[in-house]
Amino acid sequence: MGAYRHFPILIITVPLVTAVLMPALSHRRERLCMPLAAAALSASTVLTFLLYRVIRPAADCFLSYRLGGWEPPWGIEIKVDFAGLFMLSVICSVSLLCLVYSRKYISKEVEPGKAFAYYSLFLLLSAAMLGFTATGDVFNMFVFMEILALSSYALVAVTGRRDAVRAAFKYLLMGAPSSIMVLLAIALLYSSTGSLNMAHLKELLAEGAYSRVVFASLVFMIMGFGVKAALFPLHGWLPDAHSIAPSPISAMLSGLVVEVAVFALLRLFFTVYGAASGAVSGTSEALGVTAAAGVLFGGVMAVLQKDFKMMIAYSTVSHIGYIALGISIMNEQALTGALYHLLDHGLAKGCFFLCAGAFIYERDYRRIEQLKGASRRMPLTCAAFAVAALSVIGIPPTSGFISKWYLIWGSVAGGKYLYAAVYLIGSILAATYCLRVIYYMFFLPPQPGTWEGGGEAPVLMLVPAWVLSLGTLLMGALSFVIIGRVQEAAGLLLR
Amino acid sequence: MGRLLDNYHYAVAAVLFCTGFYSVIMRPNIIKKIIGLNIMETSVFLLLVSLGWKEGGIAPIHAGGAEAASMVNPLPQALILTGIVVAVSTTAVALSLVILLYRQYGTLDVDRLMREEELEVPAAGPEGGEG
Repeated sequence: MGAYRHFPILIITVPLVTAVLMPALSHRRERLCMPLAAAALSASTVLTFLLYRVIRPAADCFLSYRLGGWEPPWGIEIKVDFAGLFMLSVICSVSLLCLVYSRKYISKEVEPGKAFAYYSLFLLLSAAMLGFTATGDVFNMFVFMEILALSSYALVAVTGRRDAVRAAFKYLLMGAPSSIMVLLAIALLYSSTGSLNMAHLKELLAEGAYSRVVFASLVFMIMGFGVKAALFPLHGWLPDAHSIAPSPISAMLSGLVVEVAVFALLRLFFTVYGAASGAVSGTSEALGVTAAAGVLFGGVMAVLQKDFKMMIAYSTVSHIGYIALGISIMNEQALTGALYHLLDHGLAKGCFFLCAGAFIYERDYRRIEQLKGASRRMPLTCAAFAVAALSVIGIPPTSGFISKWYLIWGSVAGGKYLYAAVYLIGSILAATYCLRVIYYMFFLPPQPGTWEGGGEAPVLMLVPAWVLSLGTLLMGALSFVIIGRVQEAAGLLLR
Repeated sequence: MGRLLDNYHYAVAAVLFCTGFYSVIMRPNIIKKIIGLNIMETSVFLLLVSLGWKEGGIAPIHAGGAEAASMVNPLPQALILTGIVVAVSTTAVALSLVILLYRQYGTLDVDRLMREEELEVPAAGPEGGEG
């Protein structure tokens, strides 16, 4: 494997170190911040995609990096398998595009002289997500989760406006107790097994009898990560934080941050506790019911919204429900769908928020009715939104169609016809809220006094939005390239 | 009952956790919520550190021919050290947000903040619209 074995740690440390260096390097040269941040993230992206050459979806094919040279059950291990690599590549590419988008947008929202703080926090957030996904140690996962959480609280409040500070504090008040619950769960898990390494834990838990302490730790884990992932009854912080944050940050929070928390649930279920264990089968039913409720609740609330970003935020609640529901079904097809939906959600929701940001940047329009006739002046932004909307609804040939196909196939194969119905109703709700906006944009005349003069969003904002929306098309049309390997990875997780 | 008396530190941790959680949820004052958060964190630290405790245990240093069986488990202590750093950073971020909140709203009462939020919502869009 040669030089490849150092890639997992480099992917995390390059943005992390750059984030820490940023305030020192760019105190007076603020123009250098964005190129430096982009260079760090590009390096991570290149390294991540190079890993596809060595990592295949097979049981013994993963890269493991031992921090400080300590052997795995005692030392901290960074472990990249195919499912992790898939998630890492989504994180790298979406955050790089959001970073490019930030350059123009942030000059408007953040006061000059503070931009270095924004880029520093942005890199910290990306590095924390990468580490959170790649780590093979539960306590290390907690530490990365806290870096992730603290940088996202700060990024929501980065503009310093009244509502932004309030939304950030609300996020913190729900996020901090949830972190403590995760720590408590880790303490309980350690008390009953004496290990913190994920692979070692799975062996120990498979040997030992099913105990109440293990069950309690899984319940606390689900509650803790459920808040971070905005699973239905615990989603209260999400609509405020996601709609009030600066748009590139909304795209990061909605496309990636809640997603890595769901990915953590997936890791816990399959890599730590083991799919066959009594604890997992006892909780997956409950997770399924709340996720199904979340799909419907998020969809209905999204239909009712008047604020554009608020609508997208509730749509995120609905789509996180899709993924959690796919995990709770526990068969290969549904898990394939859940993994592929992680990709689709990152691309499509990222694109939605970037388009919403373009309207805010150009016109300061936040309400849906102000978008009537938007295609006359900003046709490219509207078209990017429309393509991503197809994927959110799940119309072929987009990636949203592929993931929903597998999710519904999985729920039928698992005999859970009610869940299949929930997916279909979720899609109808998605069609309702997306097509309404498309209808307003393309087929209605503008309201008097709006959309006079002015033009398209800047190129630096259009390109990331278009790359994401074309990404949903390509990952759907060319899904045969990768879906087989994702399915094998899903099969491996279940074993 | 005897088992509970032997393991009283777990009971104390549970009581502290619930006390902290109660004040995070029920107290209207933001500073008291943050104090509750810290009590919750401390309860988990107590649970973790008591896992590694041993009657008459010695520091886990092999030099000098100490027996491994009489040493305390050092791992929970290392975890808590990291946990304390995390808790302090969370408190720092929370308190700096409180300063910003107080400057903007002039209150630390969550109920009054929520009332302000309700007043703000209709004016969310620049043109107000149909509200």
